[in-house]
Amino acid sequence: METPSPLPLPSACHDLANLDPAIADHAPGGATALAPAVLEVRNLALRFGSHLVQEQVSFQVAARSIFAVIGMSGCGKSTLLRSLIGLLCPSAGQVLFAGVDYWAGTPAQRNQLRKGCGMLFQSAALWSSMTIAENINLPLRQLTALNPQQRQARIAEVLHWVGMDSCADVAPADLSGGMKKRAALARALAAAPPLLLLDEPSAGLDPINARRLDALILDIRDRTGAAVILVSHELPSLLAIANDGIFFDAESKRPIAHGSPRDMLAQSDNPTVHAFMRREILAASADHPAQVAATP
Amino acid sequence: MLFPWPDFLRVTLQCSAQALLIVITVNGLVGAILAFVGAVQLNKFGAGIYVADLVGIAVVREMAAVMTAIVMAGRTGASFAAELATMQSNEEVDALKVMGMQIGSWLVLPRLLALTLVQPLLYVFGCAAGLAGGLAVATGMMNLSRTAYLDRSALVLIPSHFVLGSIKSVCFGLLIGLTGCWQGLQAARTAAGVGEATTRAVVTSIVWVIVLDAVFALCANALGV
Repeated sequence: METPSPLPLPSACHDLANLDPAIADHAPGGATALAPAVLEVRNLALRFGSHLVQEQVSFQVAARSIFAVIGMSGCGKSTLLRSLIGLLCPSAGQVLFAGVDYWAGTPAQRNQLRKGCGMLFQSAALWSSMTIAENINLPLRQLTALNPQQRQARIAEVLHWVGMDSCADVAPADLSGGMKKRAALARALAAAPPLLLLDEPSAGLDPINARRLDALILDIRDRTGAAVILVSHELPSLLAIANDGIFFDAESKRPIAHGSPRDMLAQSDNPTVHAFMRREILAASADHPAQVAATP
Repeated sequence: MLFPWPDFLRVTLQCSAQALLIVITVNGLVGAILAFVGAVQLNKFGAGIYVADLVGIAVVREMAAVMTAIVMAGRTGASFAAELATMQSNEEVDALKVMGMQIGSWLVLPRLLALTLVQPLLYVFGCAAGLAGGLAVATGMMNLSRTAYLDRSALVLIPSHFVLGSIKSVCFGLLIGLTGCWQGLQAARTAAGVGEATTRAVVTSIVWVIVLDAVFALCANALGV
């Protein structure tokens, strides 16, 4: 079904199955070194009460880039994401959207800035009392000036894009985990935000669906020009699609590596990063503080 | 401002038509119990007809509003808390915030409005059921005639009793709705958190309904209502 595109999102049909399977070769093309920063984080510190989660977090996310937030469980990746979208106030530092300090603004200004973000939550977070179409319609009503016909066209368009044309009137409870993630992705990108934040999009998915989701994320980046911040543990996904990133250390509670996951894999001499990227067991001891052992 | 009309209609139906049977049952039994207790004592003094006074005033001024509120706290207040706590743990509330939606107007307002609008209507049904329960015991056990009982009830039930009961029921509706929504939104993001929020919503609502009813009683007494 061809539908007119009322927003600057592509309307062309997209068959995920026909994507180039060599996703990894496709990944680095998106970001440009000279692209302006969609998001900049300066010296951010995150705390829960007196408990320090991370500090001295600084990075930039360029337009059209896929930026990976990497680290072991409990190191504060999702907490960082929550502070980027305004759900958790950092204890220090700045979050700048296109140069505007988010946390220095009034609630109305913050609300306005937040509208430039589309978020895919770890649990998909589809509103359970609504159908999938209603889930996508709500941000369109809230964030755009589209009329009802244009909204319907956009809903059909984004559902087609994520390969869920027939699921418009289905309740979230009736979908599989992978379908929920794709529906939530459709909701996140419906209003064409310049920044997409994806919290563990492929967690819990089988390898085939995880790879399809990777392809979809790349496709979204290429078609919309949106920057993507990706929190993930899935090394194949990270290596395939991310072209920039940051590595959080749970012990020092600071970032210990910057750059693309491929560079981290190839060049990082930090034992934690080295072990993580190679799926090795990090065996620290007093005599050998950074001894690594390959997993059998 | 967007208003979730489908959600509002769903909640209104849930706390009106679907709650009616249990409200009528509980209030009918309370009216019958009041009549039974009153009949035993009043008959000793040959004043059985005054059971209509006892049941009428107690039901309309106090019991219909309070018992309806307790039923709604256990039923609808718990439902609000559980639903919102589940939404909280599923990150659905966060998804709304990220879009710039006001949680107060999107999640709390429709529930508060629904319960506050419906509570006085349920109170009216509760009054009717309570009076009917009293009538059934009075005519069945005390051999009072239906006409005498109804005449006596009409004599003692003045509009101010109904006004007071209606005002209470509106306040109880607000209190239960606010408590349920507050506890739900404050819940921990775990399965246990949902259970705890639900329990806290019910217990807090019932305690405050009784406290508020006592305050109403003192104020009404001071004002001579």
